[in-house]
Formats: sequence, structure tokens, C-alpha cells
Amino acid sequence: MVNQQTAQVVLEAALSTGGDFAEIFMEDRRNHSLILQDNRLETINSGRIHGAGVRVYKELSAYYAYTNDTSREGLIRCALEAASAVKAGDERTQCAKLVAKEIRNAHYVAMKPSETDTKLKADILRAANNSARAVSEEISQVTCGYRDSEQDVVIANSEGLYVTDTRVYSRMSCQAIAASGTENQMGFEGPGALKGFEHFMSTINPEVIGRQAASTAVKMLHAPVCPAGTMPVVIGDGFGGVIFHEACGHSLEATSVALGMSEFCGKLGQQVAAPCVTAIDDGTMPGEWGSENVDDEGTPTGRLVLIENGILKNYMVDRLNGRRMGMAPTGSARRESYQYAPTSRMRNTFIAGGSDDTAEMISTMGDGLYAAKMGGGSVNPATGEFNFAVNEGYLVKDGKITTPVRGASLIGKGNEILMQIDRVGRTMSMAQGMCGSMSGSVPTNVGQPFIRVKSIIVGGRA
Amino acid sequence: MQAFLDQLMKAAKEAGIEVAEAYIVENESFSVITNQGELNDYQSNMTRGLGFRGLVNGKMGYASTEAFDEESIAQLVKGVKESALLCEDTDTVFLHKGDDQVPELGLYNPELDRVSAADKLAMVYKLDEACRAEDPRVKNGYNVVETIKANVRIVNTYGMDRSFCENIYVVQAKVNSEENGFVSSSGHLAYSRDVNAIDVNAVAKEAVKRSLDGLHAASIPSGKYRTIFHHDAMVSLLGVFSSIFSAESAQKGMSLLKGKLGETIAAPCVTITDDPLLPDAPNSRPFDAEGVASKAHVVVENGVFRTFLHNMKTAYKDGVETTGNAGKSGYASSVYVKPSNFFFAKGEKSFEELLSDMGDGLVITSVSGLHAGANAVSGDFSLLSKGYTVKNGKREKAVEQITVAGNFYELLKNIRAFANDLTFPGSAMGSPSVDVGELSVSGS
Repeated sequence: MVNQQTAQVVLEAALSTGGDFAEIFMEDRRNHSLILQDNRLETINSGRIHGAGVRVYKELSAYYAYTNDTSREGLIRCALEAASAVKAGDERTQCAKLVAKEIRNAHYVAMKPSETDTKLKADILRAANNSARAVSEEISQVTCGYRDSEQDVVIANSEGLYVTDTRVYSRMSCQAIAASGTENQMGFEGPGALKGFEHFMSTINPEVIGRQAASTAVKMLHAPVCPAGTMPVVIGDGFGGVIFHEACGHSLEATSVALGMSEFCGKLGQQVAAPCVTAIDDGTMPGEWGSENVDDEGTPTGRLVLIENGILKNYMVDRLNGRRMGMAPTGSARRESYQYAPTSRMRNTFIAGGSDDTAEMISTMGDGLYAAKMGGGSVNPATGEFNFAVNEGYLVKDGKITTPVRGASLIGKGNEILMQIDRVGRTMSMAQGMCGSMSGSVPTNVGQPFIRVKSIIVGGRA
Repeated sequence: MQAFLDQLMKAAKEAGIEVAEAYIVENESFSVITNQGELNDYQSNMTRGLGFRGLVNGKMGYASTEAFDEESIAQLVKGVKESALLCEDTDTVFLHKGDDQVPELGLYNPELDRVSAADKLAMVYKLDEACRAEDPRVKNGYNVVETIKANVRIVNTYGMDRSFCENIYVVQAKVNSEENGFVSSSGHLAYSRDVNAIDVNAVAKEAVKRSLDGLHAASIPSGKYRTIFHHDAMVSLLGVFSSIFSAESAQKGMSLLKGKLGETIAAPCVTITDDPLLPDAPNSRPFDAEGVASKAHVVVENGVFRTFLHNMKTAYKDGVETTGNAGKSGYASSVYVKPSNFFFAKGEKSFEELLSDMGDGLVITSVSGLHAGANAVSGDFSLLSKGYTVKNGKREKAVEQITVAGNFYELLKNIRAFANDLTFPGSAMGSPSVDVGELSVSGS
């Protein structure tokens, strides 16, 4: 990895044409993945991601170049490529002397994936596969995946920062398909953590993961299609937090706020959600999937209150957009790899626990939908329009859960739905996802307790 | 690179990897993005990656790297060996011997490489300016100019050594327009291998038109609506459901087309082709990810299902020839089945004729949330959609905040007609606008 001395030379080259700030991000990452399908280990793949990106700022513009030639000459060439785009007068900014910064590792790894026997990794996939298939004879296919990575990073910038870190990720997934001959339905679970393989020896039981995925698939196979219309919806905890992630979280990223492309622009201090809603983005939670010691610009991560009792408190801010907005970075700058310039992203983002009772919120909702398991979704930050899939839903009639229904989706606008939340349960839980945006796909946690939305459009087929 | 390759093949042989193959992708790309006349992003990159696979005891092992040092040689050889030894796939796998004839497609235009960064910057500013000049209601947006050059090479121990180079120029405008507090967001994209073929003003005009068309859109009451998918929306849908035509999906029980070869699975007007040889389509290539020479295939002919898409492994299993549809999602990926340029054949009528034939109904211009609202396994979809209502064959009012739901297998059977406006809007999928009959809409 690039040492202090070389990083210093590279940053000086990056500033040589008049840039006023420069940064280098280098990574060396080992990935390992296994896929089990048709009861067999089908693909085992290992890879090494290796490269560096240099970013130069001139006022509010930024120039980025990346390469996987990480020799001293290759890095200098990359820096000069980024610098060549800077149009400046005679003024030159000096690069401060780099000083290595010690960071405290808050994320303990007991079993490094690279030192864990691949057979153990295969065993958890077999366990999930077998338990999924045992749920029902209608389970026609099970695909289990396991993926880990160890990412070494060096981040240095012209203000004198030089920091190194290692991030260890482990995740497994199970997708089960139930088939009736004419129809297929799917169930999915995908737990992961910023931890080593110990996560699957202690915290997560692969058999339970397989069973849950299969149960959803079988339930949905026999479910009638969801009726369409506008109705109250209770959304379950854990991955239910995807509603906040899509409906609101993306629009609170400086990536869209700085450019005036968010519905939440200029709304700090204003009420944007019902008073029962408090939302947090926390990059520090030990071992959690969306956590980091420092972000991809080297800024220490923190706990950020986004919305407090309905009032908008903070945006998630990266360095460049912070310049544009006149705000300090919040440790939110992230990127998939050196092949992306960093930008503000969510980490572990959740609606905090409230004071309402889960049974009460269903018994008093009248007729509506209980969305027990949410699928993925997407949002257009400019308009706030979002949509997401309900992977496991139930009709509620007169306050009682009746039949499971399939094919439902929830759509709406972020600012509207936040005001429509009228119940927030007590116990928050989180689930893992990969979030895609301008700086690529990054691990994020979504989370919430049970919540109720007074009225939302439910897309269905009936 | 050649020295690294030689050393790698030698180390592989010594480690007992009987047959081995390196798949090398080298990329050079450049992109600039502006917003309201300000440069928002500038990127310039050069990368290369190598995917390595090989056979040990008849099983295929995989490993990859972006670093080309001694350590990587050891890692690749160890990785492939471990991977092959643990692999339990019982299907017979091969590497291609390279005994077929590769077509010449002309996917590389050296003139594109000579366009300077300054010229690309000037182009993106021109696009930005053109969007804002088009209408006072244009508020902001992204404007992108991007060039991509890729070189793909496959080398294996049978002596096959094939490569091709391609480059492409992409111009894209995304426009947010605003009126009386209502924001509408839409965009347009153009691409070509010929820089002179892209009309920046036309891209701006179309992007602004689409954005303005969405202003003051509102939901409509839930119900069944006669529906036309504009080609862009149909392409999004086909992208998700193209996997049902993959032999791999069928062999694994993830496509309901399994066992339906020769049967009628779609309306008589439906013909679907996979053609990697089209000169101007984005996903053309002279050979697939296994090095097999490209050929066009009719997948659905007048509603009759003619062939699955195959790679060498799935073809052997089904006892047929590969269709040359081996794909990778990058140098590091294992080989799977992937369409090339995959498209619905065009019909006779103009888009306007399609509208007037429909009379009253709905046109869907874009769908979103495909990874959430569309399930390739069941065929079900329920998608957040935008578009407009049609009254007496004419555009009436803009629509948003609706979901359009159906099942892709049923939709194929219900298609009434295709227009003659076949387009590849930038992905591997192509489609004309299409009258799909009645669909369920959830709205207000």
C-alpha cells in the first residue's frame, strides 16, 4: 500500500496545477464468494480488487482519476491526469506534511475470513439449503450465497491526513423458490455484518435463515393477489426500515441537497415528519453492516440525528458537498471502491423506537395491509417519489390479520408519507442491504420498529 | 501483461490445472457531468482486470485480480485450484477450442479516441446550456458526456487468443422542471460510435420535452386500463424478464418456460431476436464470454418459442449447440447466460396509429423500481409508473403515482400490436412501443 512518503509526492503532483485540495484513496481488497444451488456448491470465486483514485478540488469543482497501476509512477500519472483538468491562475496550495493518524478500531473481528477454512463457509450454505428444503415439498429451488471481503484502505489528503484501516465484511443469503407448476414465488433472507466469520457461528443461525426464506415463498405461493387502493398500512420492523431509507434517507444526502435536487432543501429546523418520528444515521455501531471507523474520506464516523420528533435536524454531508453547502462533513462519504469518487451516503439508518404498542396499532387500523416483510425499492430524490415491494403481506380486516397476499407494492412521495406515520412501536431492529447510488453499491443497514402509516397507495393486481 | 500471462499459465500447469483460460478486460473511460452550468464531476480512468479459470478433475475453478504482481499469480493459481476442488457442479464444462470463425464488426472507431477532454467539456456545457435555454421552467438537472473504450481478450491453453476493442460516446441529459411548486423529472440519452452522429440540441430538446410533459401529473383512479408501453418502458420490463429465456434459468427451475419449446407462448405478432451482430446496437460483440463466435437467433417467432439462450455448459446439458450467449458481468465474474442485443421485432403501424386504435386508455412512458417490483421467477410485476391518459386516440393528461401490475407471461400472450419505432435506448434490450391490452392500475 502507498506509504506516507509516496502519498506526499502524489498529492503534491495533484495540486501542481492550482487545485486547492487533493486526496488519495487506495485499496487492496480480497473477496471470496460461494454459491450453492441445486443442492450443490456451484461456484467458488476469489478476487483481488486493487487500485487507487486521486481527487483534486478547485473551489466547488472536483476532478477524479483512478487506476490500478499503483506503482509510484502510476499514482503520480493518475494525480497529474486529475490535475490536468484544473483551470487556475498562478495561485498554488501547498500540501501539508502528512502525519499518520491512529484510529481506534471499534469493530472486532474474531475469525478473519481469509484465515477461515472454506469448508466452514460451505457448511453454513448447506445448513441453510437443507433447512429451506425441509420446509415444504413445494420448495423447488434454493440458492444460497456467501460472500466475505477484507478491504485495506489508505486515505491521505493535502491537509496532512494519512489514515489506514481494514474493513472486514461477511454476508450470507438464501433465496428459496416455491413452485406449484404454473406459478413461482420467492422468499429471501440476507444477514451480514462488519465482522468476520464468527457472525455465522454465534449470532446468525443459517438453518433459521433457510427456514424463513422458504416459509415466505410457500406462504406467498398460496396467497391471493393483493387488492389495489389507498389504505392504512402497518409495516414490520427490520427491513421495513427500507421505507425510511427510500422515502426520506436518499433525499437527506448532501449528494442531492447540495444541488438543490432534494425536496428537503432549506428545511432544517422545520417539521418534515409526524412528531412521533425520530430518525438516526449511525456509522459507529460496533460490527454493524453499515458501520466504519472512518469514512472513505478519512473522516471519523459518528451518530447523526436526522429527524428529531418530526423536526429536520441534519443532512448527511461529504467534504465536497459540504463546501457547496457551507457545512462540515459528517463522516458520511462512501464509495463502492476506488473506481468511484466518494459522496454522502447512508450507513445504519433507522427510525428510532417510539412508545406505541404493536398489537394496538393493528387492532385499531380498521381495514388495510400488514406488510410483514419488505423487499427493495427506489426513489427519485428530486421529486421524492418512491416505490417498494412487499415480499410478505397480510390483509387486515376490522383490526384483525386475515389472509396473506402477494404482489403488493407501496408507492408515494417521501415528504407526504413521513407526515402520515401515526404509530411508532417500541423495539427497533435492523436488516442488511446493498444501497446503490452515484458512488456505487455500499453496505447499509435499514431499521425501524413496527410503524403505521395512516394512508398510502398500495399497488396490487386485484 | 504478456509476461504476467506466460508466468501465470506456467504456474497453473505446474499446479495441475489441466486447462486454463485468462479473460482480460482493459477499460479507459472519461466522463464529465454538469448541473446548471457548473462542472459537477470529472472522471478519467484506466483500469484492467483479469479473470482466471481452469479445470481440475473436470470441475471449473475461478479467481481474479486487478494487481499484476507475483503475489497475484500465487493467489490466482491457489484460488482456481481450491475453487475447482470444492465445486460440486455435476454438469460437464468446457473451454472453447476456438475452431470457429469470428466475424469482423467494426466496433472501434479510432476517431472517437482523438476527441480531447476540452471538446467533451465544451459538449457537456453546450448540452447544459441547451436544456436551460429550451424552457424557463427548467430548474436543474444532470448533463453527462461520457466516452468508454474497452478491450476484451480471451487466451486459453488450447491456443485460442481472441480479442476485440470497442468504444462508444454517450450523451445524457436529466432535467428537473418546476412550475407552481410541482417538480417533474425526466431525461434522454443518445449514444454512438460516431461522435458526429450525436445532436446535442436534439438530446436537450427531447429531455426537456419529457420533463415538461410530466408537469402537473396526477394519479388516476384504480382500475383496469387498456395500456400501451412506450418503447423505453417496454425495454425496462424486458430487461428484467429476459432471464426467463435463459437455459440456465430453465435448467434450475427458475423459468416457467421450461419444457415449452415449440409451444405458443406469446401472441402471433410477437417475435423476439437475440442479435450480437447489429452494427449500431450497444451490446454487439464478435464473440461471447467463452470466445464462441457470435450469431443471431430468433428466440420467439410469431409467438412460438424456438430456443433458449445457451452457453457451452447449458447447451451440452440440453444436447444442443450453444447460441453463443455466454456472459460475464465483469472480468471477475463466472460465466452465465446473458442476452446480447435482445429485442421485440417492430410492427407496421406508427405510434400514433397505435394510440388511435386504442382510443381510450393509458400510455406508460417510464417504470421504476424494477429490482423491487418485478419478479422474474413468478413473472409478476407491480411497478411505479409514469405516463399519460389517452382519450379518443389523443394524449390527454399526465399521470404519475400509479402502479401498473400484471404478469409478464400473461402479457406476452395479450400483446395486440407493436409500433414501428424499435429503439435500443442504451441497454442491451430493444423494443418498439407496444399495445399490451388491459392491465391493473392502482392509483388514487
